[in-house]
Amino acid sequence: MSGGDIKLVGFLCNWCSYAGADMAGTSRMAQPAEMRIVRLPCTGRVNPLLVLKAFQEGADGVLVSGCHPGDCHYNEGNYYAHRRLELLSRMMAVYGIEPERFRYTWISASEGARWAETVTGFTETIRPLGRLNLAGGGARDDDHHQGPAAGSASPAEKR
Amino acid sequence: MNGIVDTIKNVLKETDLVLGWTTDPVTGVATPARFHDEKEAEQAVFDSTCAHNLAVHLPRLKDSRVGIVAKGCDARSVIELIIEHEVQREQLAVIGVGCGSLLDVKKIWRRYGYGVAIKDRDDSLLIGGEQVNRDEFIQRKCHGCLEADPDIYDVIAGEVTGEIPTDTVRPHPLHDMFVSLTPAERRSFWREQFSRCIRCYACREVCPMCFCRDVCIMQTQIPRWAGGAVDAKQSEMIQLIRVNHLAGRCTGCGECERACPVGIPLMLLLDEQNHAIEEMFAYGAGASLKARPPLLVFDVNKDIWGKG
Ligand code: SF4
Ligand code: SF4
Ligand code: SF4
Repeated sequence: MSGGDIKLVGFLCNWCSYAGADMAGTSRMAQPAEMRIVRLPCTGRVNPLLVLKAFQEGADGVLVSGCHPGDCHYNEGNYYAHRRLELLSRMMAVYGIEPERFRYTWISASEGARWAETVTGFTETIRPLGRLNLAGGGARDDDHHQGPAAGSASPAEKR
Repeated sequence: MNGIVDTIKNVLKETDLVLGWTTDPVTGVATPARFHDEKEAEQAVFDSTCAHNLAVHLPRLKDSRVGIVAKGCDARSVIELIIEHEVQREQLAVIGVGCGSLLDVKKIWRRYGYGVAIKDRDDSLLIGGEQVNRDEFIQRKCHGCLEADPDIYDVIAGEVTGEIPTDTVRPHPLHDMFVSLTPAERRSFWREQFSRCIRCYACREVCPMCFCRDVCIMQTQIPRWAGGAVDAKQSEMIQLIRVNHLAGRCTGCGECERACPVGIPLMLLLDEQNHAIEEMFAYGAGASLKARPPLLVFDVNKDIWGKG
């Protein structure tokens, strides 16, 4: 992938937003292609660290989407998620990540058009921000048993 | 009202051990100690160098009846540990001590030399015989002191004044600089800071609320949240883990930053998070035995932040 391309990750709940995204796809609605979707049972399963880890491993934007409040398949998963995700969005700037790079939304299975709009809007917000480059300046997770690569610069120098 | 030695002796009649402080013979400042009998208790002290938060030991003493000497800030950790069922109220005898603010011994040593004589009197601080401005050498956390007297105790040793010892609430020394940075600059700032991390895990080991011990996900292989490489990126990840796990649980005791051997300003992260938690839920960890950590509950009617 060329340097300028952005990578987005979407954590979507199986019951509402994933079905909504699926609907947008099968109805052939136009939407940008930068988003990789990870399907999860519920936004209640979205550990905020999944979002931060995605940024650390090279994501430039992360979107979390689940059922509307009151519509959770497991009744209350998204209520717990709401607290965590709101806190996470308030902490983003403290971690040094532009707050726009993280969003959470509620999209139902029947809202294919809304999904297409959301993902388009999100992608257009991130494009001008460009790459986050948080993955630089350190070993990838799976590298570490090989020890530091020969001639690798210190994290500070590499940045 | 009894002094610290007599109080500990009394408490030892009903407990297996008491967590307190004694004077380190080499440096002359306080160091944590465990007292098991009257003879050992003779060595107990409480003074303004007793900075350590001894509550960190409680989760490892689940099978004992434990006495613990606690300042106001330490008592918040005790409360939070009880709320989280890490210790039982019944197994504890809390010896409350009133605190008149603590000295930053490391700072004194850096300035005046290791082991220099420190004499802290009510009205003056003498370092190596020289009178200095005490305010300059107060522990940073004491400038944001919430309670100088413990909120939970079975017995009080010495005097409590009911007063917050420092009238100056000061933000973190780097706070003003930090908030003036753009997100991209903060990114570089943290990478720079974490490039110094030696992965000693002292920040975790010293934190009363980091009691997961050998199942801490900083070091689990499955799932592997952080790689084993000691570099800025992985060290930043372990701190992101910690900050997230401390959400709504951190009492702001400042031990993590105090313990970090390379001076990483960890409290910048935790202060900001504690502030956000307070704003969102009007909640401060360790303030009340009846509280529930805010991320373990929800409130359909109040949780509206204009998003979604
Ligand atoms: S994270 Fe730091 S300030 Fe918070 S409870 Fe743990 S040691 Fe204390
Ligand atoms: S960082 Fe998290 S898993 Fe590790 S000890 Fe602290 S609370 Fe437990
Ligand atoms: S105490 Fe400091 S050096 Fe040690 S692991 Fe924590 S941040 Fe790194």
